[in-house]
Amino acid sequence: MIRNKKRGLLIASVSTAAVMLATSLVSATSSSAASVPSWCGPKKITLGFGDGFGGNSWRLVTTAAVREEAKLCPSVTKLYYADGQGKTDKAIADIKGMVAKGVNALVYFPDAGKAMLPALRAAYKAGVVTVPYRVTPGGTPGKDYTMFVGTDFQLAGKNWGEWIKKNVPAGGNILMLSGPAGNSQGTEERKGLEAALAGTDYKFIGANPFEATGWDPGKSQEVLTAAIAKYPKIDVIVSDFGPSLVSALDAAQKTGWKIPAMAASDGNVLGCFWKDMQATQPNFKLMTVSTQNDHSRLATQWAIALATGGKKPANKQYPSLVFEDSVSGKPNPVQCRKDLPGDIYLSAKMSGDKQAKLKSN
Amino acid sequence: MSSATEVREVKKSSRIQISRGMITVLIGTAALFIASALIAPTSVSKVAFMGMIPFAAVLAIIGLGQTLVVQQGGIDLSVAGSVSLIVVIVTWGPDRNDDKLIGAVIAAFIAAIITGIINGILVTKIKLNPIVATLGVNALLYGVMMGLSAGSPRRTTDRLANFVNARYFGLPATVYFGIAMTILVTILLKTTTFGRKFEAVGANPRAAKSTGIKTDRYQMSAYVIAQVLYCVGAVLLGGVISQPTAYQGDEYVLPSVAVVVLGGTSLLGGRGFPMASAVAALFLKQLDMFVLSLSVPFAVRTIVIAVALLIGVALYTVNWRAVRDRFQSMSRRNLPSEANA
Repeated sequence: MIRNKKRGLLIASVSTAAVMLATSLVSATSSSAASVPSWCGPKKITLGFGDGFGGNSWRLVTTAAVREEAKLCPSVTKLYYADGQGKTDKAIADIKGMVAKGVNALVYFPDAGKAMLPALRAAYKAGVVTVPYRVTPGGTPGKDYTMFVGTDFQLAGKNWGEWIKKNVPAGGNILMLSGPAGNSQGTEERKGLEAALAGTDYKFIGANPFEATGWDPGKSQEVLTAAIAKYPKIDVIVSDFGPSLVSALDAAQKTGWKIPAMAASDGNVLGCFWKDMQATQPNFKLMTVSTQNDHSRLATQWAIALATGGKKPANKQYPSLVFEDSVSGKPNPVQCRKDLPGDIYLSAKMSGDKQAKLKSN
Repeated sequence: MSSATEVREVKKSSRIQISRGMITVLIGTAALFIASALIAPTSVSKVAFMGMIPFAAVLAIIGLGQTLVVQQGGIDLSVAGSVSLIVVIVTWGPDRNDDKLIGAVIAAFIAAIITGIINGILVTKIKLNPIVATLGVNALLYGVMMGLSAGSPRRTTDRLANFVNARYFGLPATVYFGIAMTILVTILLKTTTFGRKFEAVGANPRAAKSTGIKTDRYQMSAYVIAQVLYCVGAVLLGGVISQPTAYQGDEYVLPSVAVVVLGGTSLLGGRGFPMASAVAALFLKQLDMFVLSLSVPFAVRTIVIAVALLIGVALYTVNWRAVRDRFQSMSRRNLPSEANA
């Protein structure tokens, strides 16, 4: 936070109440200047961190956040990173490899879900503090892994639902897009969305629970294009990776299609696209929830605390918060930093300028 | 597989003649568009078509490259690595700086040519099986790509996006690239001495060698030209997708082989049908759009695509005349069927 202040007004305007709240939750201790955070105990450890799929900018920022966090704790003497590249067998081998290298704590994003459970269990049984986060691998904490640091995806769905009720009050057709078919994040979000919209006139269109895009921008483009062609009336688009839809939305609006209201997750490219479209797309209202790059920080703090003998963080779950709202401007109006790349996330603790300089994991 | 013998001949008169593969794939594509219009009309609407066509063009260009390699009796599985690497070079390299784009594109082409030469040497000089050789090179390319970007490409530069997505006469630039590349490869194969020798080497390398053709040179050129074509496709892909991932090429390996087979080029080598491959790319992408527009669950979509591909491939690989003859003789003689039928 001190860094942000130094960067002056420009960044200060971008740093926001929601971000502060989110980051203060995970970094209540880390922000206490140069002193060692309380979650960092005295025992020296090697930390392993891995992704099931690390090939996009969201993961780049998320990984950098882990590095920042680990650096705050001098007890972490070494940090290994591995990217499963979307291949479950490689992800499993990665975990085994890190255990073989002798990591004491492991923070892992198990994209493949339950398929990762045996590898995580093996790490846990080998005495590694094993902390999967974000996507549940199934199993039981204390038996299959040390603990799971989740986030309430249903809450994101609820936040979207409440906003839709307020800003598209006449009811209408909702199209939801998420990642790989059947992924738990999208399924949970849909539950929350349905709960918020129970007893209203909204209708879900497209596949149930969501149109699968694998969070791949190319696939998203094909899926969204097919949906736009198929459903002449789409009143709201819901997406848990908003930035990946920009190229598809842009291609569609060039054919004369009107962009509807959108409830999504944040990203600089999406915010800037919204600004660019203001003159020509009056129906394009935008609300985003934080894309939660800092979720990995909380998981890292837990892993380090448990492995080094530090103080346990207060929360076991990372909060889901509204970030931008183009209608109410609360907690923030739509954010856009034209001078920075599209693939940075202004809801993250790491400043946009710093994210822009990240080039590799 | 006996159709392979037909394909392996090089008929002088058939150089520009419309191939059986072309007729089949054209009929198939026309039938698909008709089915799309009747069963899922939205899949042929303007929005859907404009969304589909850039990807079809990219797949067509990549498929042309694969066609050349397959003509030499090879197969190129390094498509995934090379497309991913090129996408990373043209997006991560300039890092949104338009001024650096040209340099990045040049670097991409150099990388592609080097990759092609490595593939070519491994297959022709060291005599490695093409599957093994290109798979190894694929891993190498992923290594380079990860070393460069650590798996995170940047957003496409505006210049590339504008150039690739610009519309001329209502169609995006990608389509014209697709058409131009198809025509170029067709001319190269069908009207030049190089092309004639290239097909001769593919059809029967030994016979070609005995007539004094330096076969290695032609086999090598297949891998190099293929990489250059992948590079063109990947640069365009980088422009089409404004926010690519690091593994954008993964989705092109099997489709690139599928368009070659659907286009009627035999996996055993010999004559190649670049135009048919390009039409097959359109077929595959429209098939995607068609199933996306059907109101069926995700699992059923996957099955529909699989069945369509099976039918398409069966048209060429099954010797229908032999099947018919066998059934006829079976019914005549009323004998039990043989195990290897």
